[in-house]
Amino acid sequence: MSQRKKSVSASQNKTQRRSQASLNEDEEASFSQVSSSQVQRARENFTSDQIDRKVAEVVQFILIKDQKKMPIRRADIVKHVIKDYKLLYTDIINRVCRTFEQVFGLKLVETDPKNHIYILINKLDPIQGEPVSMRSVNPKKGLLFVILSVIFMKGGVIKENLVWNSLKKLRVDPGEKHDEFGDVKKVVTDEFVRQKYLEYVKIPHTEPVEYEFRWGLRSEKEVSKLKMLEFVGELFEQDPQSWTQQFREASTVDSSSQRTSS
Amino acid sequence: MSDTRRRSRGSQEEPAGPSNGVGVRNRSERTGDMGDEDDVVGGPSGISEEDDDPTRRREIRSKYRDLINQVQQNREDMLNPANNKLTDVLEEANKLFVNVRQAREAALDAQLLVLATDLGKEKASQLHAEGSAFDPSAFAEHLLSFMGLNRLEDESGQDGHLEGYLPQGAWQKLANRSESCFKTAPSFHYMLGSFLAEPPPPRQRVERQRRVPSKEAKRIMPTQLKQMEESHQEATEKEVERILGCLQRYFADDSGEPISYYEFVIDPNSFSRTVENIFHTSFLIRDGLVRMFLDNDELPCIAPVEEGEIEPGGASIRHQCVISINQESWREIIDAFDIKEALIPVPEVLSQES
Amino acid sequence: MSRPMADSHRRFLQTMMSNGIISASQAEALHKHCCETHGAHYVADRLDDFINVINAQLQPLFMYIRKGMSEENGLEYYALVNMTETDITRMASDYADNELELFRKTMDLIVDSESGSASSTDILNSADSLRTKKLKKKETEHVLNKFVQDKWLNEKDGEYTLSVRCVVEMEQYMRTIYPDLIKVCHVCHNIALQCQMCENPACGIKVHLPCAARYFRARSDPHCPSCNDFWPHEIPEMQRFQSQSSQNLPSSSRENTAPTTSRRSRRS
Repeated sequence: MSQRKKSVSASQNKTQRRSQASLNEDEEASFSQVSSSQVQRARENFTSDQIDRKVAEVVQFILIKDQKKMPIRRADIVKHVIKDYKLLYTDIINRVCRTFEQVFGLKLVETDPKNHIYILINKLDPIQGEPVSMRSVNPKKGLLFVILSVIFMKGGVIKENLVWNSLKKLRVDPGEKHDEFGDVKKVVTDEFVRQKYLEYVKIPHTEPVEYEFRWGLRSEKEVSKLKMLEFVGELFEQDPQSWTQQFREASTVDSSSQRTSS
Repeated sequence: MSDTRRRSRGSQEEPAGPSNGVGVRNRSERTGDMGDEDDVVGGPSGISEEDDDPTRRREIRSKYRDLINQVQQNREDMLNPANNKLTDVLEEANKLFVNVRQAREAALDAQLLVLATDLGKEKASQLHAEGSAFDPSAFAEHLLSFMGLNRLEDESGQDGHLEGYLPQGAWQKLANRSESCFKTAPSFHYMLGSFLAEPPPPRQRVERQRRVPSKEAKRIMPTQLKQMEESHQEATEKEVERILGCLQRYFADDSGEPISYYEFVIDPNSFSRTVENIFHTSFLIRDGLVRMFLDNDELPCIAPVEEGEIEPGGASIRHQCVISINQESWREIIDAFDIKEALIPVPEVLSQES
Repeated sequence: MSRPMADSHRRFLQTMMSNGIISASQAEALHKHCCETHGAHYVADRLDDFINVINAQLQPLFMYIRKGMSEENGLEYYALVNMTETDITRMASDYADNELELFRKTMDLIVDSESGSASSTDILNSADSLRTKKLKKKETEHVLNKFVQDKWLNEKDGEYTLSVRCVVEMEQYMRTIYPDLIKVCHVCHNIALQCQMCENPACGIKVHLPCAARYFRARSDPHCPSCNDFWPHEIPEMQRFQSQSSQNLPSSSRENTAPTTSRRSRRS
């Protein structure tokens, strides 16, 4: 990569931006400073069959990485699949996005444009009365729902104790091995966090150290706050609109994401 | 809430004495409030003996810690707008503070006050928020109802004392309903290509069928087979009985002490004999003639079952387990238990042959 | 180029992804549901055409929806399968390396057996020779359970067999890896694991139980379809195996040569 970078900076006159780039943005630079003539040359170097195959491999790679709902890093896509086709990354990933939408009804979303992390989300809604369920649902999803809804209803951030105490009331003790979930604390603070459903961070200046929970980047894209509020309203037998602030937030977020996804 | 408390403290602080802020402030307070208890008032600047009573101080500290715990553990309950638990805690603390004389106890008071202020702030923000407040405790209750909690009759409603249990599949039910809030993509699972294609060891298969017995196997196997030929089953039964005899003898010799399972079955001179011993002993356990259990060191022990100890109905609970042993673990056990000789002697037929 | 997919196809495909395998009757109901949900034109008889539209798009992505018959009940199933083995496919995260090694060993045992099945005892014992990472007996049982749950193995009375999903996806693999052990059914030409076998040593052809039921139906004096020797096995009852209408979808291997029975319409 460093060799390429050299050639990039030598051949290009974009060094001004590069000089400001921190080490972390070096990779970014190697992507953004590709000239159109370089891309053009690369396109000519590969046959369309070769590029088709790359696109298929990236689709396959993303599906595999999504098996455990782990987010997908651009760096990994490049390292494991794209390899020598790096100059054509943008071409390829655009076609991958199109394939996901046209074949699978899925959307490849970049949740973190700075670190280039992707997730897959669904464009189709589940429907009541399916002859065969469209989703295979793990009971952990119920656990996740409880935590996400408490965070959302409490304004976006909560101390960890509130999570543990809520779960205890639901007969799930984070200190004990649970029949269905195993090590609950690990599922919540490790698995959900790595999947980017949750953020679990230290609260500064706390002694003993305290942690707080927020929604992770995946949840922001994958979860409908409006539908969540509707379900919470159902449980309380209360009009979702009576939680004024939450309802306002849910309506704005959902309508804006609707706009971007269509 | 914390404001009222501060104010009341402030007013108590006015008649402060010469030195030692904490002690003196309290003394004036105390003389006013509970003068009858304080006959032994010390000199103007010193701490009275009673003030320094370690038992009493320990008691105060322990009560403070209880309160702090209570606040930390029941945060949401404290925040619940429907109750006055936070005020209750502060009133309790005020009562304790009356008797606080020294810095160590005062520090605990301060710690509690910080917690209470924090909660007070949050509780206030809840009240000022527009629309309904969200009560996590009520939410948990609604979720339990949704998941079909089997509530037991004795619903005491005590804090931290959970009644009732969730039925099988309760979380699945919640997960299924929650799924409509998620736009989760389905995932693709496959088996082909998840491991490196590798032909099975066909050689091994052929070997297994046409293996030429090794020298040692040649030496032992034929006699054994001849012996078994008469009736495989009969031979096993004989051997099982012989082993039971051994066990009963050792048990009697050892004044009825249970015997270490490994010491009993392991033959340090022969791995195959060990496997056979394990095999035959398992029949004794299955038939309820011998029982197996873990001793204080969590090591397996066996002992013969006395006659009449087990009802003929065989009502005792049975467990089944698979024991695996290989040459390596066999040697490890010999070393660990320092086994020098086999407790079960080699059957006569075999020992004669070899 | 091929016909483009619509949301009805995508919904069908997503359901296949979630389930891995569905029975033909489920597939028919799902076909109807998907078309109705998205206002697509629904023709009851055209399930395989509908699936072919999806397959045209899936094939370049090394995936396919394949049809296969259960060796046990003769029912037809549709499975979504992977078609390649590459460094990328080996990054699958569903199972640990030792779990996959156990799966391979289980497959070895089943393919090597006469009954097309392997006992749990034999599998537990074979787990002792895992090279990747040893599994305790309890763990092995747990992993086997997972394979059953994930529909790669079937289990009945402690005997494990390969599921339809497994055979449909791994058929080519098995033919390559076990060239001497894999026999095909004389009637349907698909891999035959659980089956009846001609006892003439010079012949020894295999026939699936459901295929035997179909083939020998109404023959009082059954003879081997290959060597004409007497067929010494009990002929299974036809009722046990609800025959399916087979359409023109490329099935897991060759086309079904089995005499297609009544094209009953189960769609109402």
